[in-house]
Amino acid sequence: MKPARATDGQELVHFGHLQFRARHLRAGLLLLGVAAALSLVSTMIGVTRIGGSDITALLRGGLVDDAGFALREVRLPRIAAGFMAGWCVALTGAMLQSLARNPLADPGLLGLSQGSMVMILLLILFAPAAPPMLLPFAAMTGALAVALALVLLVGRGGAGGLALLLMGIAVETMLSSVTQILILYSPPDMSYALSNWLAGSLSGADPAAVLALLPWFLFSLGMAVWLGRSLSTYDLGQDLAMSLGENVNRSRPLILVVSVLLSSAAVTAAGPLAFLGVMAPHLAGFLSPASGRPRLILSGLMGAVLVIAADMLTRSVSGELALPLGLSLTLVGVPLFVISLRLRALKTLSNR
Amino acid sequence: MRFMALFVGLGLCLFLHLWLGSGMPPAAMAKTFLDFDPDDYGHYVILYQRLPRALIALHVGAVLACSGAVLQGLVRNPLAAPSTLGISGGAMVFVVAGAVLGLGTAAQGIAALAGGAAGAGAAMWVARLAGLGLDPRGMVLILAGALVTMLCMGVANALLLSDPALRTAYLGWISGDINHVYADRLTQFWWIGWLAIGVLMVLAKPLTLIMLGTEKAASAGVDVRRVSLLGLGASVIAASSATAICGPVGFVGLVVPHLVRPFTGPALWRLMPVSAVAGGLACLIADLIAREAFSPYSLHSGVVLDLAGGLVFALLIRRHYLGAQA
Repeated sequence: MKPARATDGQELVHFGHLQFRARHLRAGLLLLGVAAALSLVSTMIGVTRIGGSDITALLRGGLVDDAGFALREVRLPRIAAGFMAGWCVALTGAMLQSLARNPLADPGLLGLSQGSMVMILLLILFAPAAPPMLLPFAAMTGALAVALALVLLVGRGGAGGLALLLMGIAVETMLSSVTQILILYSPPDMSYALSNWLAGSLSGADPAAVLALLPWFLFSLGMAVWLGRSLSTYDLGQDLAMSLGENVNRSRPLILVVSVLLSSAAVTAAGPLAFLGVMAPHLAGFLSPASGRPRLILSGLMGAVLVIAADMLTRSVSGELALPLGLSLTLVGVPLFVISLRLRALKTLSNR
Repeated sequence: MRFMALFVGLGLCLFLHLWLGSGMPPAAMAKTFLDFDPDDYGHYVILYQRLPRALIALHVGAVLACSGAVLQGLVRNPLAAPSTLGISGGAMVFVVAGAVLGLGTAAQGIAALAGGAAGAGAAMWVARLAGLGLDPRGMVLILAGALVTMLCMGVANALLLSDPALRTAYLGWISGDINHVYADRLTQFWWIGWLAIGVLMVLAKPLTLIMLGTEKAASAGVDVRRVSLLGLGASVIAASSATAICGPVGFVGLVVPHLVRPFTGPALWRLMPVSAVAGGLACLIADLIAREAFSPYSLHSGVVLDLAGGLVFALLIRRHYLGAQA
C-alpha cells in the first residue's frame, strides 16, 4: 500500500493491481461501517429481547432458544434482504441516471417496477398455488416487457434522455391503473395483502428469500465492475462516449437489461421502494462525488444503509402503528435528501 | 356551429347517463323530476344516484379541464396538467392524512387546498434543483411532478394500511372515483372550484398575453409576475377542490385542452369555456363506460380515465418530443 496522486491531484490508494481514490475508499468504508452499526442495533429491536451477549453467543454457535430463532430466522434475513434490495434498487437508479443523463431517472418512474408488480399480482391472484420460485421470473417478464415497450415506443431516434423518461411515465400511469383494478376488485383480505406488499415490506424475508436474492446481488457486483467504465463515459454525453471508443449500440441495451433484472429482483424481495433509486445515488454523490464504478458502488451502499435504517424504524414502531417500509423509507430518506440539497445549494452560493 | 354540436353531445350524454339501463321509457323518467314518487325505486335511483353522479362528473371534468388549459399555457409545457404537476397527488395525500387524523369533510377540503399547493410547490422545487433552468421545454418539471405524485400515492397507500376501516372507504377514492356517495362533498366544495374558475376567466386576457410572451405582455401593461402567480394559484385551488370531491381523476386536465385547442385557438377566453364543456362531457362518457361496459359490474371511472389518459399521454409525447427526431 503506497500513497500516490491521481492526475487531478487526489490521493490514490493501491491494493495490488487495484487502485482507488482515497476519498471514495473512505466514503465506502464509512457507509459499510454505518450499515454494520445499524444492523447491530437492528438485531436488538423487537418483541424477543436480545442483548449483546446473545449475539456473541450466536457467533460462537451456541444459541438455540427464542433469541437464536429470532436472530437466525427473522432478523438477520430481514437485514440481509434489506441490504441487497436497497443495493439493487440504488444501483439500478444510478445506472439509469447515467443512461438517461438525468438525475431523476428511477426504476419506478420508468415503469419497470410497475411492470414487475403487475405480473406478480397477476400470478398471485390467478395462480395462488404457483411456487414462490416463479415470482422473480414473473417480475422479470413484466419489467422486460415494459423495457421493450419503451424502446419500441420511443424508437431509434430519441432513445436518449428525457423522451425515454416521459414515455416511462405514460407506461407507468397505464400500468398503475391496472394494479388499481386488481387491488379494487380482488377479495378484501387478498386486496389487503396485495397493497401491503405494494407499500413495500421485508416481512416476507426468510432465509429462503435471502438465498433467492443472493445470486442477483453477486450478479450486480460483477455488473457494477464490468459496466462501471462504460457508465463513466455515458456521464460525459453520448457523442463524447462514442468518441472515447464506447460501443453505445452494444452497451446501451446491456445496461437497460441489467437494470431490468436487478430492479425486478429487488421488487420481488421487498416490493417497490419508491424514490430510493433517486435518493441513494444523490446522497452518495453528496458524500463523495464520483462517476463510473465508485459511483455505482457508493450508491448501492447508500441504498442498503437507507433500507436497513427504514426497516429499523418500521420494526421499532410496529407495536403502535403499522408503518410500511415504503413510508418509513420516505420518512428516513426525504429529510436527508432535502438537507443535502440545501447544503449543496449553500456550497455553490459560497463558492460563487 | 361546432360548439352547438358540443352542447348537443353533452345533452345526449346526460340523457344516456340518466336513462341507460334504468328500464324506464324516457317519458316515465321525465316524471322523476316533475312528479317525484319517493316509493318508486326507479325514481329513487335516478334522483339520488345517477343525477349526483352526473353532476359530479360535469363539475370535476369542467374544473380540471379549465385548470389544465391555464397550466399548460403558464408553464409553457404541453404535458402540464393538475395530475402531472403533483397537484392532484398532493391534494389526495393531504385528504387521506386528514381522514386518518379524523378530520371532518369540510376540514378535509381545506387540507386538499393546502395539499395541492404543497404538491405543486414540491414538484417545482425538485425540478429547479434538478436543473429546470437548463431545459427550455420544461420536461424536467413533468418528471419532478411524476416523482412527487408517485411518492404521494405511496404515502397515501401506506397511511390507509394502518386503518382497515378507512381503507375500505377510501380505496376507491384515492384512484379517482366519480360516485354518488361523494355527493355531500360536491355540495360543500363546488363553489370553491367555480370561484377559482371565475378568477381565471377575469384574468383570461392578461394570462393569454403572458402566454404569448412575457415581454409583449409587460409592454401591453400587464403586471406579469402578479398575474402569473394569481393564475397559477387559482388553477391550483380549482384542481385541488375538484380532487377533494372524488379523488385524483387523472388526465382530463391534460387531454381535454389538447382536443379543444385546434378548434378554439390558444386564447384562454375561448379555450376555457369550451374546455369546461368538453371536460364535463369527457368525464360523463368515462363514467358511462365505467358503469355500463362490464354491466352488471361497474368499474371505477378514475381507472378508465387513467387508462385512456396514459394512451393519449404517450401519443402527445410522440407528437411533441419525438417528432423532430423521427
